This record gives sequence, C-alpha cells and structure tokens, in this order.
Amino acid sequence: MVASVTRRFGDLDIAEDATAEAFAIAIERWPTEGVPLNPGAWLTTTAYRKAIDRIRRENKRDSKQKEAQMWYDDSPEPLDAIDDERLRLIFTCCHPALAMENRVALTLRMVGGLTVPEIARAFLVQETAMGQRITRAKSKIKAARIPYRVPSAEDLPARVSGVLAVLFLVFNEGYLATGSDTDPIRHDLTAEAIRLTRLIRALMPQDGEVAGLLAMMLLTEARRSARISASGELVTLAEQDRRTWDAALIAEGQHLVRERLDAEVAPGRYQILAAINAVHTSARHMRDTDWSQIVALYDQLISFDPSPIIALNRAIAVAELVGPEVALAAIDGLEEKLVGYHAYHAARADLLRRLGRAQESHVAYDKAIELSGNTAESAYLMRRRNQPRC
Amino acid sequence: MHYLVSVIATGTELATPGEMETIDVFNDKLRAQGHWVYANGLAEPSAATVIDSRGEQPIFTDGPFLESKEFLAGFWIIEAPDLDAALKLAAEGSKACNRRIELRPFHVFAE
Repeated sequence: MVASVTRRFGDLDIAEDATAEAFAIAIERWPTEGVPLNPGAWLTTTAYRKAIDRIRRENKRDSKQKEAQMWYDDSPEPLDAIDDERLRLIFTCCHPALAMENRVALTLRMVGGLTVPEIARAFLVQETAMGQRITRAKSKIKAARIPYRVPSAEDLPARVSGVLAVLFLVFNEGYLATGSDTDPIRHDLTAEAIRLTRLIRALMPQDGEVAGLLAMMLLTEARRSARISASGELVTLAEQDRRTWDAALIAEGQHLVRERLDAEVAPGRYQILAAINAVHTSARHMRDTDWSQIVALYDQLISFDPSPIIALNRAIAVAELVGPEVALAAIDGLEEKLVGYHAYHAARADLLRRLGRAQESHVAYDKAIELSGNTAESAYLMRRRNQPRC
Repeated sequence: MHYLVSVIATGTELATPGEMETIDVFNDKLRAQGHWVYANGLAEPSAATVIDSRGEQPIFTDGPFLESKEFLAGFWIIEAPDLDAALKLAAEGSKACNRRIELRPFHVFAE
C-alpha cells in the first residue's frame, strides 16, 4: 500500500503517514461498523484521501495537478500493478545515489516494515542514528528527485545487483550475529533478508542472480543451528553435526542451483556462491566434499571478481585438495591486502598449525583474535590456538 | 529540474586541447538534447575576492572563501527530468572534462 500511495504522490513520507492513518481508522471503525466488502480498496482510497488532505495542508505547488491525477482513476490496483509498485519501491530504496547504510535502513523500513528501534537493535546502532539514516535517504530522494520507477532495461542489471547487495548485507549482518548474548532480532534479519529476496524472485522470476542469491541464503541458513555450540562457540564446517542441517532449505537451495545450471546462462557471483554452498551441503561428511568442484567454482568466480577475499577462500579450498603447503604460499601473497582481516590470519594460523609450525601459528591466531569482532568466533579461535598439536 | 554539475580540480591548469574537444562535443550534445542551461570555466581561486557587507561597511578580502586542496574549476547547469537522467549526463561530463564532478540539485521552491 505504501508503494501504491508513493506512486500517486511521489513522496515517501506522505505515503507512510497516509497509510498509517488509513489503518488506524480501519482498526477504530471496522470492529463496530463491520469490514467493508473490499477492504483493500477501502484502505487504498482512504490513504489517497489522507495524502491529498496533507498535500492541501502543506500547500504544495502542483497539488491541484496531483489531485486531478488521483481522482481520475479511483479503482483499486490490480494485482500485477501492486507487484509493480513494490518493485518500484525496492529499486528506489536501493538507489545507487544513496549511501549503502542508508539504503539498508530505508529498505528494511519501507519494504520490510521493520520499526526504527528494531533496525537499530539489529545493527547495533543508536535509534537516533538509524532514524537519521532513513531521514537522510528520504530527503535525498526528494531533493535530488530520484525517480520512483523500475529502471529501464538498459539500467536494470546494474540496479538489480545494487538491490541484491543490500539484501546480501542484511543477510550477512543477521548470519554473523552469533553468540549467547545476541539480541534475537538479529536472527530475524536473515529471515527478513530471505523474505525480501523471495519477494524479488516472485517479481523477477527470470533473473539468475536473484535466484542465485536466494539459493545461497537458503543453503547458508540451513546450517544455522549447527553453527554455534552449546557454549556459544563458532563451529566450523569441518566440525558441524550435519544431521542438524535443515534438509528442506537445502533441497530448495539445491533445486534453485540446478535450475540455474539448466538455464545454461553464464552465472554471476551469487549463482556461483550458491553452487559452492550446494557442493558443501551435498556432502554427508566433510571428507566427502568434492573439493575439486569447489576450487573450479572459485576459479570461475575469481575470473570476474579478483577480490583478495575470494582468493583467500579459494586457497582454503586448495588446501583441502592438495595440502596446506601450496595453500600457504597462495595466502602469503595476499598479506598486503588482507592484513587487517581477521579471517586471513585465522586461515594462515590453521595452515601453519597443520604444517607443524606451532609458534608462527600461535602468533597468527593472536592476530586473528585481536581483529575478530564476534564473540563466538573469538572463542573458537582461542580454543584452536591453545589446542596441542594434532 | 535544474542540477549543478561542479568540476572539481586540484590544480589550476586549464583543460588540455584534447579535453577541450571532448568538452565541446559534450556541450553540443547538451544543447541538442535540451539539457543545456549554462556552463563555463572559472578563473583560478586566487582571482577571487570575498565580500562581507553584513556590517556597517563592506569588507573585501583577497582570495577564495575556502582554502582547500580541491576547488571549483568550472560548472554546468543542466536541465534534467530526474536524478537518473542527471547522473547519466554528469557521468559523461566527468569523462569529457577528465575530472571528478559533483552533481547537486537546485532547491525547488514551492509556489
């Protein structure tokens, strides 16, 4: 509904308030007066009227023109149009001219319907600061006249990847929020990310990267309960009890991956990441993992994204395939770029440990622990560091 | 809707002949497509004067209002229907003059 009203009046603030007012009236009246025959239409029309009232009060320049637009077509939107409205809203909230953190806040608020306190808690940010992000985004949309529309075909691929980046960020934020004293709302972030990605998938069923991101999220989420031990420590893939993995989510994720393979279209990053997760989740035990497949997939990913983090993850897979020595050599080459990244030191530490270089391994673990921001992860690293050679 | 496209420079050197050419081509396109409002290059910051007439007598100070490593070298004022259109033009402008630019909307005053 917010999307619909925004479309009519081109103003997110007015749309939000008008929608809230309409719902408030409904809640007040319907219990006594009864629910209208077409509640959706009633709500939408009431919201439009409230929006017009507000525009009149604010005495905007072309309010007369907008009124004329509104009264010309009073009928409720057909379902396809509602989907279009939601797509417009998503693309607007994720516009590249908005700072990423503001995009995330605005999307969760306007599309996800989360409250400002909820979003603030999820990202461990003050409520006022989170509120400001949303305000800034709305002001920029208005002042710079960011258009409220689905991008043209030519712009669509770049804009879609912008939306997926926002959702990926939300998912990661929720997924990495681990540990016993974490606010439960952070767990809900992964659910929210998945829900929004499903929405985009329903609106854009042909898009491969949308399918890829959804598959990746599902296959990752499937392993959530195995990821933290009873004592609040991170459990790595090697040590997870795979019986606790969610079979339904894995089945759905793998189905999506197969679907994309059958499409025989060159895969983008999310499809490849999904495929990597699919390989992992089809192994009953760590030792059954098809590592050569995984290395091949990382090779594919690196060819269009030579990011050092991907190179790191590839090296970790290489270690499983040909041993820690080769992998360590590959990783050492990434030092300059990844020196501030805890996972880099953790990976080095593990490889050094496997090569029997205990002293150097300890130093690397210390560095990783120092840089790690996550209590479950630090606990795990500390345990590894203090383990006798095995 | 009008947007200001500011050209950010770090040195006072003028556009090279090659840059002049690409700028001309870009300007022609802006005119042809109805986006052109005004554009020009600015003299170096040291040619500026700051004036403050808020008090009894106007005060004149030699130099720009802000001493900075980066400064305004020139600008376009363009007409575009929305930010997406303006962003595309501004991207071409940055390429044409071979500098970073800032795209900023003009304030829209209610009647």
